[in-house]
Amino acid sequence: MATTSKQYKAIGEDLWKGRTEKINAELFAFTYGALVVQLIQDYEDYAEVNKQLEKMGYNIGTRLIEDFLARSALGRCADFREVGEVVAKVGFKSFLNITPNVSHGAQPPASSPTRTSMPPPQANAPGTSFTLTFEENPLAEFVELPDEALEGGLWFSNVLCGVLRGALEMVQMQVTASFVSDVLRGDETTEIRVTLVKYLEEEVPVGDD
Amino acid sequence: MSHHLFLLSPSDTPLYSLTHYSSKPSQATSSPLASNLPNLSNWSSSAFAGTFNALSGATSASQAQQAQGGAARIGGGQDRRHVIQMIANASLDAIEEVMRKDSVMYLKSVDKFNEWTVSAFVTPGNMKFVLLHESRNDDGIKAFFNDVWELYVKTMLNPFHTAHTPIRSPVFDARVRASAKKYL
Repeated sequence: MATTSKQYKAIGEDLWKGRTEKINAELFAFTYGALVVQLIQDYEDYAEVNKQLEKMGYNIGTRLIEDFLARSALGRCADFREVGEVVAKVGFKSFLNITPNVSHGAQPPASSPTRTSMPPPQANAPGTSFTLTFEENPLAEFVELPDEALEGGLWFSNVLCGVLRGALEMVQMQVTASFVSDVLRGDETTEIRVTLVKYLEEEVPVGDD
Repeated sequence: MSHHLFLLSPSDTPLYSLTHYSSKPSQATSSPLASNLPNLSNWSSSAFAGTFNALSGATSASQAQQAQGGAARIGGGQDRRHVIQMIANASLDAIEEVMRKDSVMYLKSVDKFNEWTVSAFVTPGNMKFVLLHESRNDDGIKAFFNDVWELYVKTMLNPFHTAHTPIRSPVFDARVRASAKKYL
């Protein structure tokens, strides 16, 4: 049963309102900012910091998806396009109270030699992607990147990419998520592109090692 | 008609300075912020050395308030800059005196030096904003100080900014200039 975009928005709104434990946005932004600055001081290499943020996000995402599915009680998405809609309208809305815009872009699977292409069980081919465009980013309130960070290629909110990757992996989709542009870096918009690599076969859940 | 703004940390380290000429596009005496630093870091040494020259043989350069008389006809350029800094520095004592008696944030005019009046604003975090100006403009200056205070707070909230270090953000600089143009 196809759920329309408006219905997703309503679901997202309800989830957000129904959530009793909320955190002060400034506290959240300060905590995240302090975290990033500390990582920079520890690693001193912006590429490494990006990787670490992504890893942290991945760990968050694998747990967050359980919370999300329990509260939203949404069923399996029909295709990757729907995944994008749900992520943007319900996922981000219920956790961060923001609704990024989704734009879908299909890519022919043949033009992605770097990815292993398996015959997908669903209708979507590996290589399909959607792009999330953020009007506002609660993680980056008050933040101004210094020149070294700009030159070093820091993606300040890279934890979000990790969260997306971790969460989607737990629902049998292997994706890559990465920033395309960021207003902190002087670009016009903040965008994350999520690209489907492959659907994962049902496996025994990953144990805590 | 020019204005000189200085932002000082609680330990009286200069963190930011700006010179604004009203009714003209505002120009700082040293527009790239990096070159503010050489002036500021030589605060104690060359400020007084310069004052010494500027006051052409006035005796004690330490508490130069006594030497006011000789400064009446100061030439332009470098000397003028040192005098400005000296005046601002000397006014810190006056600020502290007023603060001891009566803690408000906006201290109107704490000091006068020939044609320059010094107005001050002390934030709850003990940052001092010192403004040297020639004309009276209480409301404008008060509004300007409040604006600078807000901009300062926003800069402090940036996780990449270390407290009590010189403020080098170009965004902050641009906004302070705009505010100066608006109120002064």
